[in-house]
Amino acid sequence: MTLLTYREAAIEIEPGEDVLSALLRAEIDAPHSCRSGVCQSCMHRAVEGNPPAAAQQGLSDAQKALGYFLPCVCVPETPLTIVPAREAGARSEAVVHSIDRLSDDVVRLRLEHDSDFAYRPGQLLELIADDGLGRHYSLASLPEEDSFVELHIRLHPGGRMSRFIAEELAPGRQLHIAGPLGTCIYEGVDPDQPMALIGSGTGLAPLIGVMRDALRRGHRGSIRLYHGAREREGLYLHDHLETLTKRHANLRYVPRVLSDSGPHGGDVATAALEHENALPHTAFFLCGGEKLVGRLKRVLFLKGASLKQIRSDTFLPAGSGR
Amino acid sequence: MSSLYERLGGEKAVDAAVELFYRNVLADGRIARFFDGVNMEDQLAKQKSFLTMAFGGPNKYTGKDMRKAHERLVAKGLNDSHVDAVIEDLSRTLRQLGVGEKEVQEVAALANSVRNDVLNH
Repeated sequence: MTLLTYREAAIEIEPGEDVLSALLRAEIDAPHSCRSGVCQSCMHRAVEGNPPAAAQQGLSDAQKALGYFLPCVCVPETPLTIVPAREAGARSEAVVHSIDRLSDDVVRLRLEHDSDFAYRPGQLLELIADDGLGRHYSLASLPEEDSFVELHIRLHPGGRMSRFIAEELAPGRQLHIAGPLGTCIYEGVDPDQPMALIGSGTGLAPLIGVMRDALRRGHRGSIRLYHGAREREGLYLHDHLETLTKRHANLRYVPRVLSDSGPHGGDVATAALEHENALPHTAFFLCGGEKLVGRLKRVLFLKGASLKQIRSDTFLPAGSGR
Repeated sequence: MSSLYERLGGEKAVDAAVELFYRNVLADGRIARFFDGVNMEDQLAKQKSFLTMAFGGPNKYTGKDMRKAHERLVAKGLNDSHVDAVIEDLSRTLRQLGVGEKEVQEVAALANSVRNDVLNH
């Protein structure tokens, strides 16, 4: 029986030995520092098997639920297959279910996938083009309700992946995905806790996933969804979300358009910071570009929000990984 | 006699102090710039291991780790005055949490013990 598998290779581990020591002995260059389960620099993710509770001490509820653990204090008793914390893992096949324009530059891509691709709404996957090019996109779908995964993709003129998506993808087309990744999920949230979901552009996708998940699980606290865009056209689910708020009394939708001077005009971060005042009690979900997420995270934390209650997903420029 | 770490309340005490300490540090104009552009979750984990060390708790830090971890900051001008500011912020955090003066001094002394490694002296 192989107790430890790293990526696809079996790793020799002595009885009582911790995973980090075994990795280092196998000459795997695993990051580490304190070797006491505190600094979290050695964090990995179990893609198969369950790490012992002692190896998940100090991690967030979302990280625990998703199999993240600390190799330096992990002495496995049952088999584990692990990958570095930010790696998507093995790829699997997917087939295009549908592809539709949501606005000038945003498409909604729905993919049918293998049943063993298990994910939580708000996570992300790596979409892999024929030439091996990979990009990360967040999941707006709900595994309990949708037979497909749904991604909202902003097409960049001249982008390699954008060209692949716009020119090659049509219903029935096969491609590869890997993952899921990311911890921006409805976990560790109290059903009565206020939730603030704040995002810009296609950062709306994971927030939709989290919002749908919260509603399905019977979340009773208020849910405020802030969506920012540069132009009015960028509020690509405006009408759908307006309709949803009529069906759910605890749901509010706050759109903001940067280029507009009307009642919905302005910057989404400023709007959210103005409206949110129960900071220590609120569960935050932040999704979008580095500037928006970084600014909000810092300001919210300094004003009293707990970092444990700020979940985020930062969209990095293409090619830089995420 | 129980250890400083036990007297302070062990890991629970570290958990209670870490966010307040980080907030104090980020709000401190003397040192805030050293934290620009860092990943806040990673940084919080590092603060937690620093506090564990300063509370006399389990850690396997070596002088070499400390030097390496602060290399980039020393290049950006990190000096004694900044270490003083961090220790002040740490002491203030503990007082805000109602920790006794004797323990505050012991923690400050432990934090101070890595000064030369941090500054690569």
